Amino acid sequence: MNRLLALVKREFWENKGAFRTTPLVIGGIFLAAMLMFLITFNHFDNEFQSLKELLRFIAQQDVDLRAKILYQVNLSMSVIFSMVLAFVVFFYLLGALYDDRKDRSILFWKSLPASDTLTIASKLLAAMVVAPVIFWVIYVITHIVIMLLFSSVVMILGENPWTLLLSIGSPFKAWGLVLASYFAQSIWALPLYGWLMLVSAFAPRIPLLFAVLPPLVLGVLELWIDFLQTFTLNDNLFGLFGHWFANSPLIMSADSYSNDEFGVAMGIPITSDFDHQITVGNMIDRLFSIDMLIGLAIALVFLTAALWFRRRATER
Amino acid sequence: MNYVIDAHGLTKRYRRTVAVDNIDLQIPAGRIVGLIGPNGAGKTSALKAILGLATYEGSLSVLGKNPSSDRAALMEDVCFIADVAVLPRWIRVWQLIDLTEKIHPKFSREKCLRYLSSTKVTLDQRVKQLSKGMVAQLHLAIVMSIDVKLLVLDEPTLGLDILFRKQFYTNLLNDYFDEQRTILITTHQVEEIEHILSDLIFIQDGRIVLNSSMEDIQQGYAELMTAPDQAVAARALQPMHERELFGRHIFLFQNVNREQLKPLGEVRTPSVADLFVAIMSGDAA
Repeated sequence: MNRLLALVKREFWENKGAFRTTPLVIGGIFLAAMLMFLITFNHFDNEFQSLKELLRFIAQQDVDLRAKILYQVNLSMSVIFSMVLAFVVFFYLLGALYDDRKDRSILFWKSLPASDTLTIASKLLAAMVVAPVIFWVIYVITHIVIMLLFSSVVMILGENPWTLLLSIGSPFKAWGLVLASYFAQSIWALPLYGWLMLVSAFAPRIPLLFAVLPPLVLGVLELWIDFLQTFTLNDNLFGLFGHWFANSPLIMSADSYSNDEFGVAMGIPITSDFDHQITVGNMIDRLFSIDMLIGLAIALVFLTAALWFRRRATER
Repeated sequence: MNYVIDAHGLTKRYRRTVAVDNIDLQIPAGRIVGLIGPNGAGKTSALKAILGLATYEGSLSVLGKNPSSDRAALMEDVCFIADVAVLPRWIRVWQLIDLTEKIHPKFSREKCLRYLSSTKVTLDQRVKQLSKGMVAQLHLAIVMSIDVKLLVLDEPTLGLDILFRKQFYTNLLNDYFDEQRTILITTHQVEEIEHILSDLIFIQDGRIVLNSSMEDIQQGYAELMTAPDQAVAARALQPMHERELFGRHIFLFQNVNREQLKPLGEVRTPSVADLFVAIMSGDAA
């Protein structure tokens, strides 16, 4: 256990830039945007006159409506964090078993009494838990700082920040849901993570190419053959990926959308298997589905293959 | 007798070539063994098999364990420096020490810091900021702070200057080696390690062509330097190798009475390098 934790720490040290600096930069951009917004208001409009009026107007609206909109704003603040997190984890896993082969430091890591299974577990853990938790913490901190900043502006402008901002909009619920969605996504994305680790373990060079090209070629071939035979575009690799993406528990927008809309946008009919309302229950539903079971089986195959390649990585 | 390394019929095949060809090898504890061979002779392939870094055929046991299936467990008692400069470049020295301490049950932070205090390496530096020699010092400091039974060094000083190389082997001998431990070294700079070796193994084309203790070599081999007019008499004693240097003939004999040679010229124990050349070219002929 101690060894596993030490190896996870190693992953954090090596990827500090991606895991910590990246979300900090996003948080910084949010704060900068917020300040620019306030300065712009002040510039065009003496002493925040119109902002004051706007706040007064908002304060007069129905409290339920205000709470609902604020809640959606709270949730949607996470979207940019979540999307960047997805990219960070993607590229992290693509390099996880590749970088040390390239610079030959694998020879040092293999001289330590840590098994290859433990090494792969530590990298998976970094992708599934460490990176999401760091992103989430920085998202929450950014959110709190922005709320405090805005509250003080509201207070200066003579409104009550507690009734206008802080007591409504359920920030804790938003934070909880985002964290839950990160963990649910980590499990939902396991087949993809497994594939990336497998590519990372065997790719002789340019892992990105090896990760994207084979499924792309396979998918196009499949589409083409399908099209020649039946003139329909059903159940193929792209459809499967679309299905996976559309049902991903990651919160991509403040509101729920349905599979059918997404399918129409992709040109592929996707059946609506899941309820997409953003609740923990709906996230859990997806994790206890047949789809997920199949996904886990696929992930297991990929990870076993990754382990096989990792064992033989020093062969030459 | 329990051997540290016990190999029977050890073979390593790559697609078309045989890198290690049916080797039998027994190394007892408390030895410093030099594994010497030309490039591509199969040294690294053999070491990789011993360290569990590559698959192999035949039977191989290292400290009673099977390296290919028990690498992680084996690494608690075996340490290796596979090459210079394989430490991860991004890591800071203190992080490296922290990690090794947590992963390796037999690592002593105290010892490591003591070794490092005699170098210019500081804890906050990243490996990529260190010179090649400092990286080697750091790696050696870490390895020497781990209480293992077998240490394997594969070209540990390649590309380092002579001062670093001397220091490296001096540290190894003075601060590290004892009767419980075994060190297996490969290097091209034979002359630098021959005085610290207890055993010598020559390997060529995947086969062992010499496996002998240094004492046996001193007794079994003799080098004779003669003037040209004695050369015919020397040749009559069936030398294994002959070469000419500044008009003198130098012969290498195996299992010959030194008293028999003395009238012909100057007799001495051959250097490992000369022995290496004689055996390798003799085999090729």
